Amino acid sequence: MKKTDMIIVGCGLSGLFAACVAASRGKKVQILSYGAGTLAIAGGIVDLLGYGDDGKFCANPLVGIDKIAAQHPYQKVGGSAVVKRAITEFLEIAKSCGYPYLGTPEENVWVPTAIGNFKPSCLVPKSMDAKALLASKKILVVGFDTMKDFYAHMVVKNFTKRLGESRTISEHIVALNFEYGKDLRDINAMDVARWLETPEGQASFISQVKDKVDADTAIVLPPVLGLEPNYEVYDKLHQALGCSIVEVSSIPPAVTGLRLDKMLRAYAKKHSVQIIEKARVVGAEIVDGRCEAVITEGFDRKRKFYADQFIIATGGVYGGGLKTFIGQMKEPILNIDIEVPRVQTQWSHKKLFDNQKQIFAQYGVSVDETLAPLSAGKKVASNVKVIGRSLSGYDFCYEKSGNGVALTTAYKAVAAFCEED
Amino acid sequence: MLKTTVVVIGGGVTGVGILRDLSMRGIKAILVERDDLGYWTSSRFHGLLHSGGRYAVKDKEAARECIEENTILRRIGRHCVEATESIFVRAPEDSEEYEQEWVKSCKECGISAIPITMDEAFRLEPNLSRKIVSAYRCPGAAVDGFRLLWQTVASAQRYGGQFRTYTEVIGIEVENGLVCGVKVRDRWTGQEENIACDFVISAAGSFAGEVAHMAGLTVNVKPSKGTLIAFNHRLCQRVIHRLHKSSDADIFVPHGSITILGTSSIDSAPDDTSTETAEVEAMLKIGQVTFEDIYDYRILRVFAGTRPLYSADPNAKGRNASRGFVTLDHAHDGIKHFMSVCGGKFTTYRLMAEKVVDIVAGQLGVNEKCRTAEEDLVPDPTPELMGRAKRLFPSYGAELAASRLGNEKLERVLERMEKSPEEKELVCECENVTLAEVEEIASEPTSHTVSDIRRRTRLGMGTCQGTFCAYRSVGAVDRKGVPWAKDTVELFKEFLETRWKGIRPVLWGNMLRDTELTRAIYDAALNLTGVEEIK
Amino acid sequence: MRHVIDPDKCTACTICLTVCPVTAATRKFRGPKMTGPALTRLRKLVSDDDPMLDYCSNCKNCDMACPSGVPISTLNMLAKNEYYKKHPRKSKADDMLAHSEKMGKLITSLPLGATFANLGAAIGKSIGMLGSMGIAEKQELPKYASESFLSKFKKIKQTHGKRKVVFFSGCFINYNQPNVGVDLVKVYQHNGIEVATDERFVCCGSPMVSGGYIDDARKNAEKNVKLLKQWVDKGYDIITACTSCGLMLKQEYQELFDFAQMSDYAAHMYDSIEYLERLYEMGELKTDFKALNKKYIYHAPCHLKVQSIGRPTMEILPLVPSVNIEEADAGCCGISGSYGYKADKYEVAMKVGSKLFNRIKKSGAEKVVCECGTCRMQIKHGTGVEAIHPLTVLRKAYGL
Repeated sequence: MKKTDMIIVGCGLSGLFAACVAASRGKKVQILSYGAGTLAIAGGIVDLLGYGDDGKFCANPLVGIDKIAAQHPYQKVGGSAVVKRAITEFLEIAKSCGYPYLGTPEENVWVPTAIGNFKPSCLVPKSMDAKALLASKKILVVGFDTMKDFYAHMVVKNFTKRLGESRTISEHIVALNFEYGKDLRDINAMDVARWLETPEGQASFISQVKDKVDADTAIVLPPVLGLEPNYEVYDKLHQALGCSIVEVSSIPPAVTGLRLDKMLRAYAKKHSVQIIEKARVVGAEIVDGRCEAVITEGFDRKRKFYADQFIIATGGVYGGGLKTFIGQMKEPILNIDIEVPRVQTQWSHKKLFDNQKQIFAQYGVSVDETLAPLSAGKKVASNVKVIGRSLSGYDFCYEKSGNGVALTTAYKAVAAFCEED
Repeated sequence: MLKTTVVVIGGGVTGVGILRDLSMRGIKAILVERDDLGYWTSSRFHGLLHSGGRYAVKDKEAARECIEENTILRRIGRHCVEATESIFVRAPEDSEEYEQEWVKSCKECGISAIPITMDEAFRLEPNLSRKIVSAYRCPGAAVDGFRLLWQTVASAQRYGGQFRTYTEVIGIEVENGLVCGVKVRDRWTGQEENIACDFVISAAGSFAGEVAHMAGLTVNVKPSKGTLIAFNHRLCQRVIHRLHKSSDADIFVPHGSITILGTSSIDSAPDDTSTETAEVEAMLKIGQVTFEDIYDYRILRVFAGTRPLYSADPNAKGRNASRGFVTLDHAHDGIKHFMSVCGGKFTTYRLMAEKVVDIVAGQLGVNEKCRTAEEDLVPDPTPELMGRAKRLFPSYGAELAASRLGNEKLERVLERMEKSPEEKELVCECENVTLAEVEEIASEPTSHTVSDIRRRTRLGMGTCQGTFCAYRSVGAVDRKGVPWAKDTVELFKEFLETRWKGIRPVLWGNMLRDTELTRAIYDAALNLTGVEEIK
Repeated sequence: MRHVIDPDKCTACTICLTVCPVTAATRKFRGPKMTGPALTRLRKLVSDDDPMLDYCSNCKNCDMACPSGVPISTLNMLAKNEYYKKHPRKSKADDMLAHSEKMGKLITSLPLGATFANLGAAIGKSIGMLGSMGIAEKQELPKYASESFLSKFKKIKQTHGKRKVVFFSGCFINYNQPNVGVDLVKVYQHNGIEVATDERFVCCGSPMVSGGYIDDARKNAEKNVKLLKQWVDKGYDIITACTSCGLMLKQEYQELFDFAQMSDYAAHMYDSIEYLERLYEMGELKTDFKALNKKYIYHAPCHLKVQSIGRPTMEILPLVPSVNIEEADAGCCGISGSYGYKADKYEVAMKVGSKLFNRIKKSGAEKVVCECGTCRMQIKHGTGVEAIHPLTVLRKAYGL
């Protein structure tokens, strides 16, 4: 019987980060992943806490975190002190991978978005340095003539509304000159990113933009500065143009998330983390309050994967980590039934975007202060932690706290297993 | 002041049918609609063109009308009717005597009902419950409500008929007991004006009582709400009816890329299109008799419409009220040249219009005969036009666009694509709607919101329910600078909240997952609701 | 367990687009989400020319990435199958490559058939005949062996073992690289496993499915399913040494067809190295390896990754003393069975593989290790570095 130190179920941000943290502490880690995890389609920036329970903007996320309701995962795991340690570790890993992130957990920055709004976020890659954008007198929003999913005109329009008249904000469209025809598909951000990885693409971009910018300008772009977790494309363009360049937070496939995904996977593999793809975990073998193994099921047979410690990072409802039906919610691996309302007015607000936390979003697995899952108030297994989106007590969309909770709970789970906290 | 002969109030199927008939008889007419064409009941139904089979036992006259009109519409409206045929299936719990009576009645009404073996039925419709005991093929069909309305109006326009959407009637002008005009208000500009006319026909459906009230009259319409469930794909290739006494949730209609299950029936206010999880639960339970795997199928959304059932008896309720239609000549109430049309069925809309216009024409002294059954709603696209479309559209797009748009619009869309080939870009990848179509429809004077574009193109009506195309369509109309694209944040909200309304009652499983994706994009990544000024 | 093939679970999230190697290589393919779940809905409604459909290589990276479990590639293959019922084929290559077993049977049954066939292919290439058939002229066609595996197998003397397996060799090992099959028998025998074969097995159908001949694949599946079930009933486990055959028999059959009892035999199916890994975990694998002093680089075939069995080779080969092996982890090689042999797909396949080729060339490894036969061909073609099956390494390490 093969047994590993730690099995992590799920390959999104929380699962990958937990694997990285655990592996860096010498643990032998195996990830069981069904699907690639949503990091590859998400934005790749780390929101900590943009808006508090009162709906007000938090200038300092750590201050906000200590004021948030007791059932929130941040509070559960020990508040700002733990968050800070988690973030520090994330920043160190990013740095060691040659893809350092900017920012501190003490300060929210306003990251521009693809509709021309701004969102509060905390840690961003260098290519999304919102501070540089806001410090510039001139903003040039650059679109690409045949690229789908970026509308420079709309960004300019809403920037002007949000930033006021103090800056010159204008639009510039770069011609891609890609082949076009009936039997060629639409051009997406990844295509443009691949183009900008080539010397020809860079030269074309620079020549089309150069005389529109000076040192006071910030260029705002869709996320197209290469697909790899490094700053090669950014540095080349930045050097040639001599101005700030800022990628926006965008819709899937947001290339920025893909980079973070690749970065963490590379780090994990380097630290001998084994990833088993397409492994659908359907249950766990719990004996005397300890989880012995998790069980996968596929087209052939059930398999048991043994370990000393288990982390469930299955991504909540979206990731498939929580199954829902009318008036029912279930965590399928540990078989935890979560009581949810059956009546629609108790399950959701009338409006989808309602300036308050959505009700359904706050349901999930309850845990104790070490992230050990509870079923009807009782610990399910002493050597299991649940982290990330499957946790109850928060609405990451409204709060802007998703990746922050993922990183913090991942860190906390590993720290608790390593008896650091 | 604007002058015409007849003002038709209401841009549902009854109103547009009347507008077309009037126009084809050379009677000048303007139709005014408070919302968009087909905003209410005429799009909030199964999309079923009845064969008459459903009514054969209970109401033979209605059944005969249905089969006759069904035959006509499959011909003149073939660009919005999909001649799927239908299958009536009897479950073990349904009465065998009813089946026998039904077979007899179909024969009497001239409705073809061909018995088929269960093997054949399962071959034709593999998803049918294996418990079904008997099956008959009938000539039912699917009809696209939005398209039928727009094509009927297009036909009327060719004969000089006019229409105005988002134009609310705020008064009916009467002089000496004779109608002389209506007062209307443009709901976007707030501008009010009078339209002088000799005749007013109220075809306001569930709102007929409210329109009559403006002239101080009473019309007893009993709106009855029916809830419908749209599934993500075609569960069946033919309309599937339960062969029993008409009841709730017993019809499945394959409708374009989706399937619609309906319906329920409860008394309601005319504008009550709310839907509840409990209704969906009840309908799924019944629907499972027909399709046993129903709980595995992805629901896209739930919607509701109100049937404008008319009853002279103010206490009559729900399914027992007559589904036939009534014309009320308000001369009897003291106002001449004012008529209300109540009740009726989508399938027989042409016939209803014919009967109404016969009366109106008589009173106006016009002798032209009805020709609406003789002429196609829209002409077939020429092979040349389709050839051009096939060369330009992405795969599967040309035919879909041709049937959505009709020839004139298709022609204009093709011109856009010929000029800028990149406009073949798919804005809605679920329903294959191109940028050129979105821009063309957005630029029409009848468009004011992205939802208006949706109703004419199916934008946002597929799997992702607007999650991806909201961004693209708002971006596109803003870039094009259409006059109504001012506040893009509001445009996003209007579109996404309208989609949300239909998702909310089915917020579990994949629908909940999809909602989480939508929120992750618009709330978390784009901060749609964040309107702070950043200094 | 029921495997439902419909588009309903797709939330249109586009994650499949980020991993599809073909989409990255060419805009002639619109990507998995559109071709699979999105258009599956519309194909029930309209039919149209769809040249993009042909570009899906069935590599299954989309299935692997999908968080919703949508069988995207299988939806594509089903659509392709329906499509070619109404539309003409682009070239004869489709038919030839999909039904390669026919060719293999014919050639190896003739005296000196393989010599002439290999010569014929070389001549065909030189006179441009292959090109006119739609076969990529720049690609090197797999050479036929002079003696098939099944014929060689009969000559191997086996001792009885407490474990019994039936080896489904598949066409490539049988007709093109029979020595891999011999390696398997030797290695398994060394570990006390008795290997059986069955001449009644037919091509698993994988090339037929990816070529859009699912109806032909169904006929083969029906035969194989019965036989596999019989062997399992007799107490045998089923072994494959070709990852595409393995995937087809245990997974794709269940997705595409509804023959009874497929899950019964699937429960006893193992990849050849996975089986050894299992023995190792039970402490039953012989580890009397001699030092090889080799530096290898391992390429995990896409069709292995999607089987949810991890990387057995990376667990077993490091047991051999002084073997230095690292995983390339550089994505798809591009060949996807027969895909990269088609004239109109060759450039796409080479572009898909380019990252892997660079990785291999830079690694300084002497040889590439990989379970899949056509991956090995493509790697050799793209890098010049010889690629071998892990069983070949093991046989050598055991000194057999």
